[in-house]
Amino acid sequence: MEQEWEQKQNEQEPSQQIPSRLTGAQARKAASSGRELYLNIRTLVTMMTIFILLFTFVARIIVVTGPSMENTLHDGDVLLVWTLGYNPKQGDIVVLTQKNYQEDSIVKRVIATEGQTVDIDYRNSRVYVDSKPLEEDYIKELMNTPNYPGYGMGINNITVPEGCIFVMGDNRNNSADSRYPEIGIIDTRCVIGQGVSVLFSLDSFFKWLRSS
Amino acid sequence: MKTSISRRAPWLVCTTLAALVSATLRLWQLLTIFEGPLSLPIPNAAPSITLACTLVIAGACFVLLAAYQPLSKRPWTQGQAHRWDRIFLAPSDKVYPTLVVTASFFVLIAVPILFIRGISQWQAYHQAKLLGQQFSDNVVLTIAMAVMALLSFFGLLQMGRYSFYAGQRSQGGFSATLPGIAGCIWLMEYFRSHAADPVLWDYVPQLLAIMCGMLFYMDIAGMSTSAARPRRLLWLAGMTVTLSAISLVTQARAVFLLPSGTNLLFEQGDLLGDLLLLATQTLVALATLWRLPPNLEYPPTIGSPFSPPSKEVYDRQEDPS
Repeated sequence: MEQEWEQKQNEQEPSQQIPSRLTGAQARKAASSGRELYLNIRTLVTMMTIFILLFTFVARIIVVTGPSMENTLHDGDVLLVWTLGYNPKQGDIVVLTQKNYQEDSIVKRVIATEGQTVDIDYRNSRVYVDSKPLEEDYIKELMNTPNYPGYGMGINNITVPEGCIFVMGDNRNNSADSRYPEIGIIDTRCVIGQGVSVLFSLDSFFKWLRSS
Repeated sequence: MKTSISRRAPWLVCTTLAALVSATLRLWQLLTIFEGPLSLPIPNAAPSITLACTLVIAGACFVLLAAYQPLSKRPWTQGQAHRWDRIFLAPSDKVYPTLVVTASFFVLIAVPILFIRGISQWQAYHQAKLLGQQFSDNVVLTIAMAVMALLSFFGLLQMGRYSFYAGQRSQGGFSATLPGIAGCIWLMEYFRSHAADPVLWDYVPQLLAIMCGMLFYMDIAGMSTSAARPRRLLWLAGMTVTLSAISLVTQARAVFLLPSGTNLLFEQGDLLGDLLLLATQTLVALATLWRLPPNLEYPPTIGSPFSPPSKEVYDRQEDPS
């Protein structure tokens, strides 16, 4: 069959001849190498598309920066964040972005949701939600009275508006959160998702290295 | 000629209609649903729901068009594997090469813009490092995007050039991997820069546009390597045009809202770069929808200066007896 094709080529006008640089076997081999390369690239591209769709709509991975959530989360911890269909609830660790404060996301804990009232008693280091004291075994240390101008002022009997949440970091004395004037009460539309679990912790890794 | 118009008309009409309607709905959405200083969207607003439904309907229409797209038997050349790349051949047609070459020059214009943006990010990174501050932009991705945009220029130029060559097997389809890989880097860079944005409507349309464009280029490349999916290619072309239209409206509005006196090139290079890259993939997708539907039914015979041949000529060429 190939000989017939080549014969037909030779009978054609030179301008109509297809350049026959490769024999049939060489052409098939080249075609299969090119096909293999293309399929590998296409597989990588498809996998990347799937991962990005997953990370956009279902869950994502963020790296915690700063000490505001110690001792629950440490600087450098890799956190899995669930985003699909999430509604913030009291006690959840949430990842949110407050664009008028900073472009990057911040990680805090939900203290109160819409309709609840918040009171902070710095003298006794207690937080009251709907007049009931919260059991907070996750905070790093007792709260000190803030000395930053405007920080924490007026957090007496605040009612969280509809569609908003009140957040605080677990490291109460080193956290810019809803007590901070530039952040304030957070609109739930600013919440990216819930911190579900720590995938990798630099702090634990260094502790393990030191112990070993 | 009449046959060619009837083959490509459904695709072009459907795509243009979907793009126009989606772009209009997006503009309506941008003007009405974002409220407050943080530009947060009103949940379940009518424009958002209508736009989402329109995209689903457009996707379904393209699926139907692709399913009913007549295809010839897989073209086979003696001594070669099955290849569809000759469907890009049409020396008498000027529309396809004009659109593709124009697109290539759009991406060439984007190259210095992306380089300038990368260099300014590099300088900002060093300044932040000296001050002990954190810097969130990824300079490597921006520079890589600029380099790949330059390679995409050559890839697209090849794709446009090969359509002129009568009598030769076109291998220009494989050069489409260059803009495809550029699309990968663009996708990574765009996702990384918007990952902290809690408002999906801010960036998801463009994210999907970049994805469709990237997969579209990869499918064009696949036509030259016996891994052809002609129907999927047409579907991706339609979705690329529709989603890119939405993104073009978004970017154009963002440019319109900039304060007067803003230096677009040095201060908003990302906006300008995205506009050009979106325009590029829109033009290439439209060119593909112009060229492919008639050629898929009657692939041009290698050696024929005219494409696509009529049904009678095609049948005679395939079966000389």
